[in-house]
Amino acid sequence: MAGQAILYDATKCIGCRGCQVACKEWNDLKGEKTTNRGTIENPPDLSADTWLKMQYFETGDVQNLHWLFGRRSCMHCTESACVNVCPTGALYHHEMGFVAYNKSKCSGCGYCVEACPFDIPRTSGSVVGIRHATKCVLCQDRVTNGNIPACVKTCPTGALVYGGRDEMVAKGKARVSQIKSKYPNAVLYGEDELGGLHVLYVLQDTPSVYGLPENPKLPISSTVWQDIVRPIGWAAAGAVVLGLGLNYVIAQRKIKLKSKGE
Amino acid sequence: MTTSAKSKSKASSTPASEILFGPKPASGEKLLPRYSKHVRILHWVTAVTWAILFITGLFLFVPVFGGAARGGISTLLHHFAAIVVVCWAAGFFVFNLKGSIEGIKFAFKWGMADFNWLKAAPAYYFFGKEEKMPPQDHMNTGQKLWWLIVLGCGALMVITGALMMIFKGIIPQAVFMWAATFHAVGMVALFAMALVHVYLSVFHPKMRGIFWSMVNGMVSAHYAEGHHKKWYDEMMHHQKETKGKK
Repeated sequence: MAGQAILYDATKCIGCRGCQVACKEWNDLKGEKTTNRGTIENPPDLSADTWLKMQYFETGDVQNLHWLFGRRSCMHCTESACVNVCPTGALYHHEMGFVAYNKSKCSGCGYCVEACPFDIPRTSGSVVGIRHATKCVLCQDRVTNGNIPACVKTCPTGALVYGGRDEMVAKGKARVSQIKSKYPNAVLYGEDELGGLHVLYVLQDTPSVYGLPENPKLPISSTVWQDIVRPIGWAAAGAVVLGLGLNYVIAQRKIKLKSKGE
Repeated sequence: MTTSAKSKSKASSTPASEILFGPKPASGEKLLPRYSKHVRILHWVTAVTWAILFITGLFLFVPVFGGAARGGISTLLHHFAAIVVVCWAAGFFVFNLKGSIEGIKFAFKWGMADFNWLKAAPAYYFFGKEEKMPPQDHMNTGQKLWWLIVLGCGALMVITGALMMIFKGIIPQAVFMWAATFHAVGMVALFAMALVHVYLSVFHPKMRGIFWSMVNGMVSAHYAEGHHKKWYDEMMHHQKETKGKK
């Protein structure tokens, strides 16, 4: 498959959160005031000002404890629910493969927030309704100018790499077979999910351990709205206008003739 | 010569509003009261707010207009218009409880006459053939149909709209998405029928001029007899009775 992709190798990640900081710096996102919740994981959730967030999972028991690192950000799906439901075309597929965003077209309706199978987009702004959507855009401004995404650029261990998607898939597969003996549950996540993700994860355990859906699906409603209701709407409105026009032409002549005859 | 000059001067003196909406009942014509002041106000509040709701909603339905929705100003307007019309309709219902319930009940009361009306309607609306049209009450079958659609789709729009506006983030994602989908379905149905409603009340040659009944609240007795015979007879009967009592 064509396009570019990010490969995140959870087994090489040291959980330093450099990527999280680099994302904020490059995209000029404000820091958020949070409280100590007894975990290094912070802030608690993605937000309009946090497009990338590292996650920490503890599995196993005291004798055999695993501290797993996960990455939470836009997965840049090929079959993306957010692009399907975006009414204004603010979210769209870039030819480089990622899900791009044009803020000047966004109405802030928030349909993308509800449609995303990974629960990634957020809306910023006040309760009264003036707002806009936010999410990782794979550093659209950087990659379209020959640079690599900020998170990849800053990663000190090579856990994040960026390149052609085919190459990234091959790299991820090779890495999985390398670590399979140590981590029998290891998988490459994103090769075929939702038509192929443009953010691929090498995971040392099953996706559900990382809070990822094992088999992400497009919500049916996300296709019904645009692919069925919209064309039917056009057809219905068109048929009514046509019918009324026809009625006007016929009734105008027939009924006028009749009243003249009377 | 003189007659043509007269008719010419008459035509040129027709105000623009009558050219657009049809002639008002001629002065001296016998009129019957048809719509109370509160009904007329409710009608026009609904008409204006629905126009706003429709236009701002269309921004999200037609990608080409998407730019007009940016920043969410249109969303704000949409929410405002929705709150106004829902509050107004609810207020009307509460303060005119008896009439409202009667009106709603009436829309659901269907008999053989209604089906015969539907059968005869195409010939009537296209060719003006009145012979087979059964006599109609205050609301004819077509108006009942429109009223049913307004009530049904209105309820659908209020429920799905409230889910998205008030309960966003509280309800599951799938519920929100289906609410958005059905909101669009309701919009299509309402818009299509609203076109028919406007067309019939303003442009159809058989009803040209009836627009003014929603402005002045009065309808000419002649029109009432032709279009709402049952109601007309009732009114006449009622008038005779009250006169007799006096």
